[in-house]
Amino acid sequence: MKPSAPLSPTVLSTTRGAFAFAWRSLVRQPARATLGILGVAAVGALLFDMLLLSEGLVISMRDLLDRMGFEIRVTATDQLPGQGQDILDGADAASSIATLPSVRSVITMRTEDATIERPDGSELRTSLLGVGGGSRRPWTVIRGREVADTGLEVVVNDCTATRLKLEPDATITLRATCARGAEAPPPVSFRVAGIAEFPFDTPGSSETGTTAAALAAACGADVDRSADFLVVTSTGDPDKAAAEIAALRPDLRPFTNEQALSQMERGGFTYFRQISTVLTTVTLSFALLLISVLLTVSVNQRLGEVAALRALGFSRRRVVLDVLSESALIVGIGGMLSLPLGALLAVWLDQILKGMPGIPTSLHFFVFQPQALWMHGALLAATAILAALYPMRIVARLPIAATLRNEVTG
Amino acid sequence: MRGNDAPETIVEAKDLTRSFAMPAGPVFAVRDVTLSIRAGEHTAITGPSGCGKSTLLHLLGCVDAPSSGTLMFEGKEASTLSDRERSLLRLRHIGFVFQRFFLLPMLTAAENVELPQAEAGVPRDERRRRSLELLDYVGLASRADHRPSQLSGGEMQRVAIARALSNRPRLLLADEPTGELDQATGEHVAALLDRVNADGTAMVIVTHDPALAVRARRVLTMRDGRITEDVSR
Ligand SMILES: Nc1ncnc2c1ncn2[C@@H]1O[C@H](COP(=O)(O)OP(=O)(O)OP(=O)(O)O)[C@@H](O)[C@H]1O
Ligand SMILES: [Mg+2]
Repeated sequence: MKPSAPLSPTVLSTTRGAFAFAWRSLVRQPARATLGILGVAAVGALLFDMLLLSEGLVISMRDLLDRMGFEIRVTATDQLPGQGQDILDGADAASSIATLPSVRSVITMRTEDATIERPDGSELRTSLLGVGGGSRRPWTVIRGREVADTGLEVVVNDCTATRLKLEPDATITLRATCARGAEAPPPVSFRVAGIAEFPFDTPGSSETGTTAAALAAACGADVDRSADFLVVTSTGDPDKAAAEIAALRPDLRPFTNEQALSQMERGGFTYFRQISTVLTTVTLSFALLLISVLLTVSVNQRLGEVAALRALGFSRRRVVLDVLSESALIVGIGGMLSLPLGALLAVWLDQILKGMPGIPTSLHFFVFQPQALWMHGALLAATAILAALYPMRIVARLPIAATLRNEVTG
Repeated sequence: MRGNDAPETIVEAKDLTRSFAMPAGPVFAVRDVTLSIRAGEHTAITGPSGCGKSTLLHLLGCVDAPSSGTLMFEGKEASTLSDRERSLLRLRHIGFVFQRFFLLPMLTAAENVELPQAEAGVPRDERRRRSLELLDYVGLASRADHRPSQLSGGEMQRVAIARALSNRPRLLLADEPTGELDQATGEHVAALLDRVNADGTAMVIVTHDPALAVRARRVLTMRDGRITEDVSR
């Protein structure tokens, strides 16, 4: 073959050419392009939300646990706090655990139901948390001061303060309903030391915090050494501290935050992941079908043009790349649109889910993490490629002569 | 440049046969055709419908492969080339003009003409310049930025001819280039093709149109897949 003009086809120019070309093909059929892009945007938004949902609860829970500042929870059984039996010798367990080398501090936690009565006759059901030992408190005082170690004082959450119009130094009467202690303890007068935020605060629910001794008093008992569970901070190595606790008290079960999370993941949290996986698969299949059909129809409409380009010397690779680029453009643009759309949708869905009773205010179902963005991109890219496979095959196998002939005779 | 007195052979077909397997037995579209096309030649292929004109043109243009026989394009046997090499051969050495034009509707006239050059890796400025030159050559300089939908049939075919000449092919193949055009427009396009040939490009035109066929210096007549007449003037 005689060399004619200096020709140097490069991969780069071919690829760029294919993209510019694909863009023109898209714009050429605006209705089809819009349909494809909107379809991908909708599917992409759902996909993004499913990715946020699959890890959201775990991430949010981890954040919540970390913010509380305790690294280990100790319970009487293999159940997570709030789900199992009490630790009957909670206070003693706490003081012996506090002496372990890897443990910095230990507090006991016990919650009872109570009713707050006000002189004006108003009353409110509350959850009364009694904390013993150590100086750390699970709540954060936002107004007023911390409860004193001795005496009958409480902190209440904002909801309680608002509902009962309480300010620091107000006096309330508490009537507790206790698992142990007197059967129907008499009402006890408490002073409100401050207003505090409770980590597992749920919207509209009343939380009250006090010392273990004051809780015992409210229950009509002189002393109560029991606890629902203990919370521990380590000197830096929670796993080591947990191991020491387990060695000291084989009858108790220490959970580090990570262990607690993985237990939750194995429990109820997996439902979200499963739902998310199923919905992700369904939405992606939908996107796959939509793009594949759109591209196939569009390719079939221009077989003559493709055959003509091939006759004019366009390589098979190039015409196949055109189809792939078109798929990539539809999915790429739709995917970009899907992110803000998905973010809005996530906020909305999160609000709906958080409307369920008993969900802590600071817990979220949809939580953004960069990994979701990568996953979103990777899944959509795979969709773009898979959706283009069939139309790419049509173009790759196109018999040039027969197609040109059919375009005239057919 | 080529130093020879006798024009160099571009395509040489030997015992070319193309059959199609059909339920009722094979259909022989082209049978035992032996033929050579030389540089600068102006050839027309005529014959009744279904005699194999298009099939022969496609074989000569390396877009179809013969069932038997050989086709040498510039001394290379086409059947030994890979698909990629055949594409490159068509890109650099063969121009195609189709009955239905097949311009890309989303591109302007100039962009359509640029397309084969872009595929060949010609730098942007250079191909733009060449496209405008070619459009000027086919008398459509003022329509460079028009889309095919804004052009008449004759104008579209002239753009298609400019596109076929884009990479300076040595051979131009046209299948019924005036088939979709009225007589006056067809003559205009025929005159343009004459000029392209006069300027040095060998040409093979398949046509039903006697007015187009008589313009050629060599006329091949086909019947039942064979060349029954080969007349040069
Ligand atoms: N891809 C194919 N499959 C089956 N038969 C084919 C195919 N291509 C061509 N043929 C047959 O080969 C014969 C020649 O076809 P071809 O298209 O080359 O004729 P033609 O001379 O160009 O006709 P026309 O003037 O109508 O365009 C016809 O009988 C046709 O039916
Ligand atoms: Mg034909």
